[in-house]
Amino acid sequence: MINHKKIAAVSLSVLLAATAVGCSSDKQPEAGTAQESAGAADDKTPVTFTYFSFSKEKDVNSNETVIGKELEKQTGVNFKMEFAVGDSKTKSGVMIASGDYADVIVPEGEIDKLLDAGAFIPLDELIEKYGPNIKRVYGPYMDKFRQEDGKIYHLPFSANQGYITDPGISQGAFWIQRSVLKEFGYPTIKTLDEYFDLIKKYKEKYPQVDGKDTIGFAAFAGVKDNFFALTNASMHLAGYPNDGGVIVDMKTHEAKVYSAGEYEKRWIKKLNEVNAQGLFDPESFTVNKDQYLAKLTSGRVLGYFGYNWLVGDATNNLKKAGVDEKRYAPLPIVFDKDIKDQYLDPPAFVNNRGIGISVKAKDPVRIIKFFDNLLKEENQILVQWGIKDQTYTVNEKGRYVLTPEMLKKRNDPEFKRSFGFQYFEYSWPRYGNNSILKDGNSYGVGNQPEVAEMDYTEGDRKILQAYGAKTFADMFSKPDDRPWYPAWSINLGQGTPEQIFGQKSQDLQLKYLPKLIMGSPDAFDGTWKEYTTEFGKLDSKTYEETITKVVKNRIAGKW
Amino acid sequence: MEKPIENVFPAGARPASSPTGLRLFFKKLAQQKALVFMSVPFLLWLIIFKYLPLWGWVTAFQKYRPAKSFADQQWVGWLNFEMIFKDAAFYQVLRNTLVQSSIKLILGFVTAIALAILLNELRSLLFKRVVQTISYLPHFVSWVVAASIISTTLAPEGIVNVLLLKLGWISTPVLWLGKGEYFWGILGASEVWKDVGWNTIIYLAAITTIDPSQYEAAEIDGANRFQRIWHITMPGLKPVIVILLILNIGNILESGFEPQYLLGNGMTVDYSDNLDIYVLKWGLNLGNYSLATAAGMFKTVVSFILLISANSISKRLGGSRLY
Repeated sequence: MINHKKIAAVSLSVLLAATAVGCSSDKQPEAGTAQESAGAADDKTPVTFTYFSFSKEKDVNSNETVIGKELEKQTGVNFKMEFAVGDSKTKSGVMIASGDYADVIVPEGEIDKLLDAGAFIPLDELIEKYGPNIKRVYGPYMDKFRQEDGKIYHLPFSANQGYITDPGISQGAFWIQRSVLKEFGYPTIKTLDEYFDLIKKYKEKYPQVDGKDTIGFAAFAGVKDNFFALTNASMHLAGYPNDGGVIVDMKTHEAKVYSAGEYEKRWIKKLNEVNAQGLFDPESFTVNKDQYLAKLTSGRVLGYFGYNWLVGDATNNLKKAGVDEKRYAPLPIVFDKDIKDQYLDPPAFVNNRGIGISVKAKDPVRIIKFFDNLLKEENQILVQWGIKDQTYTVNEKGRYVLTPEMLKKRNDPEFKRSFGFQYFEYSWPRYGNNSILKDGNSYGVGNQPEVAEMDYTEGDRKILQAYGAKTFADMFSKPDDRPWYPAWSINLGQGTPEQIFGQKSQDLQLKYLPKLIMGSPDAFDGTWKEYTTEFGKLDSKTYEETITKVVKNRIAGKW
Repeated sequence: MEKPIENVFPAGARPASSPTGLRLFFKKLAQQKALVFMSVPFLLWLIIFKYLPLWGWVTAFQKYRPAKSFADQQWVGWLNFEMIFKDAAFYQVLRNTLVQSSIKLILGFVTAIALAILLNELRSLLFKRVVQTISYLPHFVSWVVAASIISTTLAPEGIVNVLLLKLGWISTPVLWLGKGEYFWGILGASEVWKDVGWNTIIYLAAITTIDPSQYEAAEIDGANRFQRIWHITMPGLKPVIVILLILNIGNILESGFEPQYLLGNGMTVDYSDNLDIYVLKWGLNLGNYSLATAAGMFKTVVSFILLISANSISKRLGGSRLY
């Protein structure tokens, strides 16, 4: 009998364990000391919060970086920083369905979905109580990122304090390998035809690089999430800045979808021609991001269209390796000579990229205090410039400058990680990129004219000299004033016809553009017709009307 | 304990020596209570993880918004199902799912059985072990890594193209992953490469249960190797094959998700997208959980019907069956 009892006891305990596992998903955050003492001023008890970002980076504990360590010293707060692996849309879906949020979330493109699911807590009261610096920095912009209910759920990354232009090209451009420009004596090329002609001539001359075939043009279209890296080009070629899926007429302010339109046709047809000439990388639609970046650093690719932030790691590695000729120079390519290029972003406030505190946050007060502390000017200098005499120095005129060694380190992705720039210079409450510090120095290191000037390599200088420009941005036209910019930050909402249009149009592009580009030129018109017919079935009208409405609202000052 | 049980019951009851019905049930239950207790945790596991989630199916009939309470959800009836069945893409996705899983099913069976028989015929134990180990290693590689290996192998400059070029079978490199028509084949081959060794294990186990004296008898009767395989090994494997076939037919709409998702791209989307990716796209990517649930429900219902029919067909044919 004793055996039976034993068995019963064992099975009972297993049973209990099983039920416990089944019910543990709603685990309450442990009421720790942190929570109770939250009201106390400047609580510095060590605490670790979780931070999740939908961008791609290596996971880290913030206090394992120099900057994070310093911030921990000031506040006692450490962040376990995690980054999305794989498809962020899937990740956010799972996150919402399970309600399993990190304390702090940087939602990137998933913000609509997370806001809609009520993932963030309203910050108004917290800011009122604990955020003097937040009020100082974000004050003038607060009405631009309030949600419909009038509350603030996130802090955007673009609150500029003053304005200084960006001397480099951090956004989109047609990039060309410098050896191509050099080979032909730095010719001025403006149109798409000229761009590809030059690449063609170079490839004919040098069919191989290091024993492997030269690649004329490689598109980054193998990652579904980043398919815009292929499709956005037509908008830029037509002389518009990056407004996302639409181009906005400067006079009428009507937004128009350009997919499956004349501009896209011209762009895709050109790629089709280029493909027939063997200049287009056939792997463009199958590579993943790592493979694409590896290609760009291999020196085989002569040209690509892309946003600099999308390929930053690869270009930084080239710079670090010091192979100047294999690096790329940005060009403001357009369809026709008489089109004025608009690659440079007009002064803008991006209101749908930011950082929020989730409803699962253990101690929102400590977090908002951390944010507030981060926004103190000295900490804003810390996250951008680092530590004086270690990562920057101040010259006799009071200007922040970098020694050559500091600059070299600054361009090294691994150093940027270990010091913490990689983790703290963006993706936290911050001044906008184009801000100016109180002492007149530029907020962004790259925007400081002295640094930009110094950061130029011999090759850079040669190019700038050849084109009569002081900075790379000088090679591009000045941005026109677009008070609604950027239209891509317009919130479309969940399950709306606009959102369904977005998905379905992307599905069609994903399917037809490769076919159009890789197919034989004879078949182009037929396939194009099929594509536009399919596209015509979608509800682009509602989409355009919604965007137009918001654009007009924004011009009227209603964000 | 020896007390006769019939005394407890009124007169006229059946003799205790052969209880039936409920009495038999309780008698057995008492006899086997240890076993019953042991199965309780697993039953609970089944209920908690397999049956309780079925509650989520109600979202298929709602316009579900996460983070809202059940009472606040809006009911829409069959609207989500109507949307699915009106969507032309759904039928393409359904076709892909059926084809992909049929390929997987047939190829998976044939190759695993063939490998098991071949391994069984090997004399050298060492060689057998080596082959077995190598063939089931890929099973432990995650699909993410496997997809990277496959896409590198099949790249224009990958080993496959180099080999075919050297052999003179093709004149220009083929973009294997860029042609929709090749996708199913590549998928089938990848699945086989990854899982053939693993799938073999169960057949090898089944073969070991075959009485060796049968082989000896056959040998004495003059049966050659192929005759022995055909008349002894194959019939010995039959019950296992049938049971696994029935089980897999129930899963026929489970064509897998990772390889299609990782290897598919814009050019092959007409052949690579399957039900799981459809559910993922509309459910998780766009946040339309209701539509995704409806699609998932459809999948379950079809699998259920397939499983029951496969089982009953097998029953009628007098073969082994699942239940």
